[in-house]
Amino acid sequence: MSPVDYYVTILAVYMGTDLIAAWGLNLEFGVTGVPNLAYIVFFACGSYTYAVLTVGPASQFGGSESYIIGARLDPAVAILVAMVASALVGVIIGLTGLRRLRLDYQALAFLIISFIAIGVVGADGAIFNGLPGMSLIPNPLGTGKGAATAWEYVGVVALGCVFAVLLVRQLGRGPLGRALRAIRDDEEAASAVGKNVLWMRLMTQGVGAGLAGLAGALLAGFIGGWSPNAWAYTETMALITVVMIGGRGSIKGVAVGTILVLGGFLQGVQYLPTLPGRPGTTEDLGWILAAAAAIFFIFVRPQGLFPERRPKLALLPARVDAAPVSSTDPTAEVLTQAAGRSAAARTDGPAAGAVGATELAAHHVRLVTRRMPDGVDAVRAPGGPILQVRSLVRSYGGVRAVDEASFSVPYGSIVGLIGPNGAGKSTALGIISGFIKPDAGRVELDGLDVTRLPSYRRARIGLVRTFQLAREFPRLTSLENLLVAPLHQRGEHVTASIVGKAAYGAQEAALVDRARQLIELFGLAHLADAPAGSLSGGQKRLLELMRALMLDPKLLLLDEPMAGLSPAITERLENACLALREAGVSVLLVEHELGSVDRLCDNVIMMAQGRVLAEGAMEDLRRSVDVQDAYFVG
Amino acid sequence: MNLFVETLGFGIVSGCVIALGAVGFSVQFGISNVLNVAYGTFLTLAAYLGYLLNVEHFNQWLSVVVVGMAIAVLSVVYNRLLPGRLMRRGAGFVTTLIATVWAGIGMLYVIVVIAGPTARTYQVDNGRTLTFAAFVLTTSQLVVIGAALALMFAYHLLLTQTQLGKAMRATSVNPVVARSCGIPVSRVIDAAWFISGLLCGMSGVVLALTTVTFGSTLGTTFLIYMIAAAVFGGIGQPYGAMVGGLVVGLATQLVGAYSSPAYEDVAAFVILTAMLLVRPRGLFGTAATRSLRLAGG
Repeated sequence: MSPVDYYVTILAVYMGTDLIAAWGLNLEFGVTGVPNLAYIVFFACGSYTYAVLTVGPASQFGGSESYIIGARLDPAVAILVAMVASALVGVIIGLTGLRRLRLDYQALAFLIISFIAIGVVGADGAIFNGLPGMSLIPNPLGTGKGAATAWEYVGVVALGCVFAVLLVRQLGRGPLGRALRAIRDDEEAASAVGKNVLWMRLMTQGVGAGLAGLAGALLAGFIGGWSPNAWAYTETMALITVVMIGGRGSIKGVAVGTILVLGGFLQGVQYLPTLPGRPGTTEDLGWILAAAAAIFFIFVRPQGLFPERRPKLALLPARVDAAPVSSTDPTAEVLTQAAGRSAAARTDGPAAGAVGATELAAHHVRLVTRRMPDGVDAVRAPGGPILQVRSLVRSYGGVRAVDEASFSVPYGSIVGLIGPNGAGKSTALGIISGFIKPDAGRVELDGLDVTRLPSYRRARIGLVRTFQLAREFPRLTSLENLLVAPLHQRGEHVTASIVGKAAYGAQEAALVDRARQLIELFGLAHLADAPAGSLSGGQKRLLELMRALMLDPKLLLLDEPMAGLSPAITERLENACLALREAGVSVLLVEHELGSVDRLCDNVIMMAQGRVLAEGAMEDLRRSVDVQDAYFVG
Repeated sequence: MNLFVETLGFGIVSGCVIALGAVGFSVQFGISNVLNVAYGTFLTLAAYLGYLLNVEHFNQWLSVVVVGMAIAVLSVVYNRLLPGRLMRRGAGFVTTLIATVWAGIGMLYVIVVIAGPTARTYQVDNGRTLTFAAFVLTTSQLVVIGAALALMFAYHLLLTQTQLGKAMRATSVNPVVARSCGIPVSRVIDAAWFISGLLCGMSGVVLALTTVTFGSTLGTTFLIYMIAAAVFGGIGQPYGAMVGGLVVGLATQLVGAYSSPAYEDVAAFVILTAMLLVRPRGLFGTAATRSLRLAGG
């Protein structure tokens, strides 16, 4: 074997395995936003699993008892088992307390897990032979030492790369990739639109860890040994740097990043001089330069070489076949008019894209009823309440933020929830939507007890909230923000996502059309492809409402939607609320703008100090002495 | 029994030093929301600077203070150059974290290139050996315990009794509101990094004094203990870090004495794992809700 072969094959195997791992990490961290600073632990998990399963009985390690299994499994099987084992460990770690933590705490916890794992293995010779590590790990391709075997091994690693890139690419695109990015951008908002955040995070943690395990098994099989030296926490940092330099969420970027960072480092060190009289300092110098380069890069190009690009869906030509506009559809004309009018209005100026109440109502009714073709009555006639809240209690420390509050929202009505600051309105809303656990009490949606349902399940059955401060998914486009929301998206399933557009393309196209109509109706069509983070405060508020509408809600919980909005946008929102009532959607409106409450609400609930103080029409409440004391006087 | 009491003594000493460093680490995280992994390198740097003074037969306690001040100044400069600047540019949490990792690695290898790979040994004057009941402690161990307790108390007074302390607490809860209340937030942040650098530098030298022989890995090893302590107590919580430091110090020493020194780390990790599983936000941690938006770091 020539020195060139030797050198190139080693480089190729190292870079190939790192590339597999970096792609896995990109799915976890770059796409889904899991700050997995323990990533190398899963890599090591694959290495050790492979080693333990393939080596023979203990004797060849001089009596070390670590290899009691002595299974001598077929290497191919061992590699598969290593992948599965790593994936399982990834899921298990994901299931621990970690998920309840804030993102920065999660990062710290992962870092600690990294220290713990290596500390425990390093401290105890009984576990994987401790610090000296495992050796004489069989090469999956047998013991041939020739160049041919080395190049074959490069081929095996290349196959692994192809597998990894296909898997990561398919999972990271389409509706699933969109939902994962929504989770990255704002976990709570994602669950508010019905995404099962825990499941999706576990899925990516499993896939990421599995790919790390594959890479680990392949590398251990090639080197023939594996010890704690090989998986210090700095290795994770190097991989995260790869993802950051390449561009978070970009598959191409990660590939380029791997070549630049790892190739640059491994290869670049060769050209460094040795300090006079200081043998062995070459690599130290390499580290110093690498550190300087990494920091320089973070300052100069923080978004990476290939910033994530989002699809420009608004530019696609409308799909005539999927569009519901047909001559037999009575609402078609109205819709077209609305679209035309708002397009015209935009050029006129101030009245830009004002939502016509009837158009929106018609639009919504049609969409909701279309979704239920078998005659299910989506909008039941007003009768019993859509929402019934019974004796809710929630305390913070000694303060009873919500204290035995009971009220209801009738079908097809807009109910206002008012009260001074600290009255418990937002807490009540949080409890109803499932973001805050009540200490006691019941929440019933349409007669169904939902008190114990997680927030995303409530969103799925039509109980949809917005937030006091609008929470968009800033790095997705406006249109994508809407597309995150719809229920029953085929493309959100792992298998469909892997199969690709054939499995979900038609549904997706219809949803894109619907989202475009909605965004047109609200007069934001010109911003459809802009990142949602670049919208103004009022536009974000509209976007959030549209996103909620994409879920076909039965009951909308709006948390101070009018606060701080210009009269023009306030009017648009008010019209939208009225239109929704027309369409049979009920609304619970927490609001301080009493003018809006006056104009919109059929019934108003007044809370103070956690209790329901009064209930009735707004004009009656204004006259009540209690209410005046609590609210208007202070 | 004797072994137990003796170990208890060592544990308290080591716990005090870890607690000092953990408080410093916690202050940075609490005020700036920066997970500064380069903290370990500053510990190592302090140990080497202390060594330079030690070679010149400088008084060992004075050198603790001098090095502490030096690291404090460096810490402020470092924050202004790197984490502080990145945060101001709107860099995310993970990005800043990675930058501190690289800064730590870079500075560490600068130290290694200059100081060489050999371990260094301090000339330590431990003073007389004193016996209290079953406790056997040297005067210098007593000085360490006393000084650590005094520093903790001083920090407590600073936080609760002074204008600066109030400003620091306000800044750690909400820097934007703090600024609009007229608090000079950037100066408060400087002060916080100065204090944390001071604690870091002092604990670095004391660590080297108590371990006597040290090398370039000193910082990383003890950084892990300090993070363990800080997390145990609830990161960002100074009192939590103090308690955490003592718990980690005692646990590692006891396990080291009763089983094998190799298991010292494992003891710290078992405590941490248990804490992460049972109460991930730490003993004194307040609700670590996810509402804070840091996504995508």
